Amino acid sequence: MADDIKPRIRVPQNPKKGDVLEIKTLITHPMESGQRKDTQGNTIPRRIVNAMAVTYNGKPVFSGKLEPAISANPYLSFFVKVEESGTLAFEWKDDDGSVYTAEQKITLA
Amino acid sequence: MTNDLAMNRRRVLVGALGMTAAAALTAIAARPAAATPETAKQLLQTLAKGEPKEGRVTLKAPEIAENGNAVPVTVSVESPMTDKDHVKALHIVADGNPNPGVASFFFTPLAGKCEVQLRVRMAQTQKIVCVAEMSDGTLWSAAREVKVTIGGCGG
Amino acid sequence: MRIKVRRPWPAALKGSRSEVGDGRGALSLCLAASVIALLVAPATVAVAQTRAPAPLHLEGSAAPEPWTRYRGWNAARWDDYNTLARRDLTRPPGQEIEIATVTGDPKKGQELAFSRARGGGCLACHVMGTSSQETPGSFAPDLSEIGAAGRTDQWLFNYVYDARVYNPQTSMPPWGAHGFYTKGEVGDIVAFLKTLKAPATFKDALDDPQKRKQPVEDREALDPFVNPAAERIEVGAALAAKPVGNGKSCVSCHADAKAAFAGWATSMPRWEPRLNKVLGVEEFIYRHAKATLDVDWRMQSTANTDLSVYLHSLSNGREIRVDASSPEAKAAVARGKTLTETKIGQLNFACIDCHTQEHGALKWLRGQWLGEFRGQLDHFPTWRTSRGTGETWDVRKRFQWCAVQVRANELPPDAPEYGDLELYLKSLNQGLKLTAPNIRH
Repeated sequence: MADDIKPRIRVPQNPKKGDVLEIKTLITHPMESGQRKDTQGNTIPRRIVNAMAVTYNGKPVFSGKLEPAISANPYLSFFVKVEESGTLAFEWKDDDGSVYTAEQKITLA
Repeated sequence: MTNDLAMNRRRVLVGALGMTAAAALTAIAARPAAATPETAKQLLQTLAKGEPKEGRVTLKAPEIAENGNAVPVTVSVESPMTDKDHVKALHIVADGNPNPGVASFFFTPLAGKCEVQLRVRMAQTQKIVCVAEMSDGTLWSAAREVKVTIGGCGG
Repeated sequence: MRIKVRRPWPAALKGSRSEVGDGRGALSLCLAASVIALLVAPATVAVAQTRAPAPLHLEGSAAPEPWTRYRGWNAARWDDYNTLARRDLTRPPGQEIEIATVTGDPKKGQELAFSRARGGGCLACHVMGTSSQETPGSFAPDLSEIGAAGRTDQWLFNYVYDARVYNPQTSMPPWGAHGFYTKGEVGDIVAFLKTLKAPATFKDALDDPQKRKQPVEDREALDPFVNPAAERIEVGAALAAKPVGNGKSCVSCHADAKAAFAGWATSMPRWEPRLNKVLGVEEFIYRHAKATLDVDWRMQSTANTDLSVYLHSLSNGREIRVDASSPEAKAAVARGKTLTETKIGQLNFACIDCHTQEHGALKWLRGQWLGEFRGQLDHFPTWRTSRGTGETWDVRKRFQWCAVQVRANELPPDAPEYGDLELYLKSLNQGLKLTAPNIRH
C-alpha cells in the first residue's frame, strides 16, 4: 500500500519577489475512514493522513489537521508569499506512523 | 515568535490526535448516530471557544453534488496576513457525517493570503461551517448547505 | 522536487528511505503526452490497414477464468432473468389480477415507495406529492394526484404488480411479478397512492426535478490534481517501457509509441476476423501482449487498465472514428442495437429505457441525471468518484455495472455481446472528441 503513496506538488512558473503563490498539493492515499465495512461486514480499520505541514526555508507557513471527512487522495491548496528564493518542505503524517515528505525549490527571477 | 507559536500549536495537535483515534474506536463500537448541528457546534467550541461573528470568511462549495465522496470546498478569509493582523486558524466542521470534524488549518503571516482548497466527504445533505480565528482573538464564520444527491438504482 | 517516505517499522529501524518518484517530472511527462497527442496528424488508421495484422493470442478468454463478480459488488445471482447473452429466461407477464378493493397500510406503503432498499423505490422515477424526501426523479409521471385520478384499485394494483399487462413495452419494472414486493406490500403501496391528491410542494427548488439544473462535467480531467486516474497515464507509459515475460517490452517494437498509437483508440473497437468478434482496446492489450511479450495482462487487471488509460490518452482531442463499414462490422452494429433494446434482469430494463430520449434519457433518476448514448463512449477509461475511494473503470466494467444495477448477471468483460454493444454505442459517438481518462459520478 505504501508504495502507492505519492505526493504531488505544483507551484506557479517564474515567481518574482513579493509574489503570493498558490501551492497545490495532493498525496495519493485511501483515507480509510474507519466507517466502511468489507464484504464480510467487518469494519475496515481507520487509516488516514491525519496531519500536513509546510515550511519555507524552515519557517512554518501552513499546517493542517485532517479528519476522516477529507476525501481519498487528499488535495490541499494554500498560499505562500515569497520574498527570497528557497525551499518549500512538505510533510504528511499517516495514522500508521509513516511520514511522507517532499521538497520544492522556488527560484525567484 | 510567530514560528514558536505555530510549532506549539502543532505539538498540541499531535497530542490531540491520539484522543481522536481513541474516540474513533469507541465510536465504531457504539455505532453513534451521525453528527448533528449541536455536536458540530460543540466541536467548534472545543476548537475555538467563543461566539463567532458572521463575515470575513467566504465559503465556496457546490449547492448540489452528485455524490458526496469528494465535494470541492474553497475557504478564504479577508485578512492582510501581517504580523499584527493575520488569520491564525481556520476550523471546518460538517453536521451530517458520522463525526463532525473535517479539518483545522493553521497559518502564519508568511502565507500572504488566507485561502485553502480541499475536497470533503459528505455522507448526506448537510451544512458545512467554517470558523476563522484571528490574531486579535476575534472569531468569524460562514456556513453553507450542500445537497448531496443519491443514485437511483438502489444499493 | 524530492520526495521521501519514512516508514516506522521496520524500515525506520534499518534507517532506510525509499524513493517514491518525482511528482513534478511525472506531471510534465503527462502534459507532454497530451501535447504530442494533439500535434501528430491522424494518419494511423489508414496506415494500420496496409500493415500485416498485429499478432494476437487467439486461444481462451482474455478475462480472468472463471469469471467471478468484483468484490464489494452486489453478490446476488439473478439466474431466472435475461442477460445480454441469454435473452430467453425472463418469463412473460401473466394475466391481469382481479381484485375489487385493495386493503393496505398507506404508511407502510409510503415507506416502501420511498426506500431505496429494494430496487430503488418509486421515488427514483416519480414525484410523489410530498416534501419529506429529497430529490425525487422525473423519469416517469408525477404521481402527486394519482389518488384523485379516478383509477380503480385493480388498475393501480396491477400497474404496480406488473405494468406489462397494460403496456408490454413499459419501462416500469414488474415490481410484484419479479419478486421485489409481495402482493400484500403492493397493496400497501396502492393504499399510499390513493392518499396522493394534491400537487407536490418542494421545500427547496433543488428537490424539484423540473427545476434542478443538469449537471455539467467541466473538471480538468487530465490534471492529476483533479483526476486520480490521470496519474495512471504515466504508470501505463512506464509499464509499456518495462521488459516483461520474454524480456521485451512494448517499446521494443513500438519505439515511438506516442506517435504510433496517436489516434488508434478512436478506431477501436473493431471487427476482428481471427476472433470472429468485435475486439476492444482492453482485449487487444491482453491478446497482443500475450502473443508478443508472453505476459498475462488480463482484462480488468491493474496493468491492463493502466495500459488502456495510457493508450486512450494518446488519442485525446481526436474524433472517434470506428469502422462500421464492412459487412461483418455492420452485422455487429445491428446486433449491438438489438442488445440495447433487450430487457434484462430482475428490474427488466433495456439500455434504451434509461438512455434514449423516448424513455428516460435527459431525465432524473432520483438525483442522478441519465445521459443519452451519444456522449457516453468518449471518456473511458474513467475515474468513478462514487466508488468507495474512487476507481478507474474501462467501458466493459461500466457495462457490467449497468447489468448488476438492473439486477442482471453480468457477462465476462470479453463477452462478444459486449463487443457488439461497444461497437454500436461507439458508432453513435462518431465525431466526438476523446478525452481519457475522464471523471464521472
